[in-house]
Amino acid sequence: MPGEEKGVPEPQSVTAGPEHHPEIDWIAAERSPEFRELIKKRRSFVLPATIFFLLWYFGFIILAGYAEDFMGESIYEGFTVGYLLALTQFIMVWGLGWLYLRRADRSFDPLARKAAETAVEAGRKSGAEAQAPGRFERQADAGTGREVQPS
Amino acid sequence: MTIPIAADLNETALAIFAIVVGVTLVVTYLASKRMTGAVQFYAAGRAITGPQNGFAIAGDYMSAASFLGIAGLIFLFGFDGFLYSVGFLVAFLTVLFLLSERMRNSGKFTIADVLSFRMNERPARAAAALGTLSVAGFYLIAQMVGAGVLIEALVGIDFNLAVILTGAFMLIYVVFGGMLATTWVQIIKAILLMSATIVLTLFVLGEVGWNPVDLFNEAKAKSPEGDAYLKPGLFLASPIDTVSLGIGLVLGTAGLPHILMRFFTVPNAKAARSSVMWAVVLIGGFYVMTTALGFGARAVLGEAGVEAAGTGGNLAAPLLAEELGGGAGTFGGDLFLAVIAAVAFATILAVVAGLVLSASAAMSHDVWSNIVRHGRDSEREEVLVARIAALSIGAVAIFIAVLGGAGLNVSFMVGLAFAVAASANFPALLLSLTWRRFNTTGAVTGVIVGTVSSILLVIISPTVWPGPDSEGGAFGFYDLANPGIVSVPLGFLGCWLGTMLSKEERRAERSFDELYVRSETGLGAEAGTGIGLTGRPAGRAPASAM
Repeated sequence: MPGEEKGVPEPQSVTAGPEHHPEIDWIAAERSPEFRELIKKRRSFVLPATIFFLLWYFGFIILAGYAEDFMGESIYEGFTVGYLLALTQFIMVWGLGWLYLRRADRSFDPLARKAAETAVEAGRKSGAEAQAPGRFERQADAGTGREVQPS
Repeated sequence: MTIPIAADLNETALAIFAIVVGVTLVVTYLASKRMTGAVQFYAAGRAITGPQNGFAIAGDYMSAASFLGIAGLIFLFGFDGFLYSVGFLVAFLTVLFLLSERMRNSGKFTIADVLSFRMNERPARAAAALGTLSVAGFYLIAQMVGAGVLIEALVGIDFNLAVILTGAFMLIYVVFGGMLATTWVQIIKAILLMSATIVLTLFVLGEVGWNPVDLFNEAKAKSPEGDAYLKPGLFLASPIDTVSLGIGLVLGTAGLPHILMRFFTVPNAKAARSSVMWAVVLIGGFYVMTTALGFGARAVLGEAGVEAAGTGGNLAAPLLAEELGGGAGTFGGDLFLAVIAAVAFATILAVVAGLVLSASAAMSHDVWSNIVRHGRDSEREEVLVARIAALSIGAVAIFIAVLGGAGLNVSFMVGLAFAVAASANFPALLLSLTWRRFNTTGAVTGVIVGTVSSILLVIISPTVWPGPDSEGGAFGFYDLANPGIVSVPLGFLGCWLGTMLSKEERRAERSFDELYVRSETGLGAEAGTGIGLTGRPAGRAPASAM
């Protein structure tokens, strides 16, 4: 049935709950040790991996631009250095992608769940006295007149 | 460009076209029965699984430019053509590491949802909509013109009629079936494209005795360029232009609205990242095979094929298929050519449908619902506006493509789309997710600087002005065909300067914490609520592990 109202019933769970979380103190959540741990862990993978793939890719591109003869050298019966390096880019994408997925499943997801649970728990404890204005209070006080709508 | 096979209507191709179109229309009908509202229309109820979304991303991403264009470039220029393949694939690491999960966790339907989250909503949304509409618009027109040219050449349908037909089917999918139909059209296209490419690759390898290295040597032997054919530099003569192209490709993909929008269709961040993995396996496999198509066309067709392959070598792959099937005039040759023509048609349909959907979402969700109506409209109104927007955008694209005709510079349009995506959308999106101080003025300045500089630099590039592919640029000091190396830093600079020169926005900084926690943990992310094509409730859609 077509929904007349914005907002559809959503299952209640920590990571897939309704968007509106007025009770959560986002500043405290951002500073919680659980969240800092998640950021540290994720950054310790994503940052080096990003630097590595950019260097490897642009190294290849710069060689293609400036070292044409080197790239055209045959390493095996006409199979060239350039083509080999191009193929390593494919291996790199698949390899790094696979590593990231494995790391995310085993390490980042449990940490993210823990950080989310901590934030929700802290919000529940402080109850209605939540200190920090969430997104929707912000919009209301921004004077845009936009009504607070779930979803 | 006229080639012998375009002399009269290719009935076999038309029959296969009809089958493909018939299947996609059934899918659209099924999807339209399940249309329940905005989440279903824009995001297929967030019920698409990781593997399904991976196929859909592949179908959304690999345009006719990938399939026919790269094969043609490799056929004509050897190694340089393959540089495009590499760039288009590596780009997905940018998407995977920096954006896919964060988009899923903190957005609803459009790039603007994430960009405007902690900003002054109306200007930020307007800026994001500008970026989305420019990218989708330029890309859409390029694809429509490409569709007209290819279908005219391959099937013998008149250019204008081909453009109108492509536009009509695109609009039927989007208007009636929304994201669910678009997704399945993209999945079907990805399967067709992969299968056809695998078959052609096997035939090519068979031709050279199953030794891939011989393929290189055969191709080289058939090229008048000799050794240079396997070296860089035949197509991209200026090294700095090669680097600039690389920047545009690797960062541009992370700013393509129709690709980023796909991440709103899965139930959670885990499915979002696994869908990227599925997509890179498919897209990577495909791009490796573009070598077999391009070098295979060179080895099989030789220099004689250059003229027949037309501008940019676009018809190299179809001609290769015809030759491998048995040659022109034989049953096998006609069948292969017809199948490739149908695959190319499906390829274009899937991409234009994704583009028009992302553009209509920007018009209805961002411009109409949030900017014009301040979010006070009903969901029914928003979806109605989205459909009207899709129809209008589609009509304008058809009109421009027909008006511009086959002579419209397609590579200029595609280059422009990637340049704006890399220089306007990507910097603003990335900074809004990672830089606490970033504010509304910075986002608006960045998007405008990125968009305007991309457009200006592409206009004064030697491929456009003073004339097509003219020697040297309009201005002596600037002769880059690819603007990325200048426009991407300009986009970031615009974001930074706009932010630093304006007053600190306390709200933007304070709500940074909220966006940061949401995007990293998925706390409060939109849940999957829709219904799949088979009628299975989305809640149970497995978060596929890869």
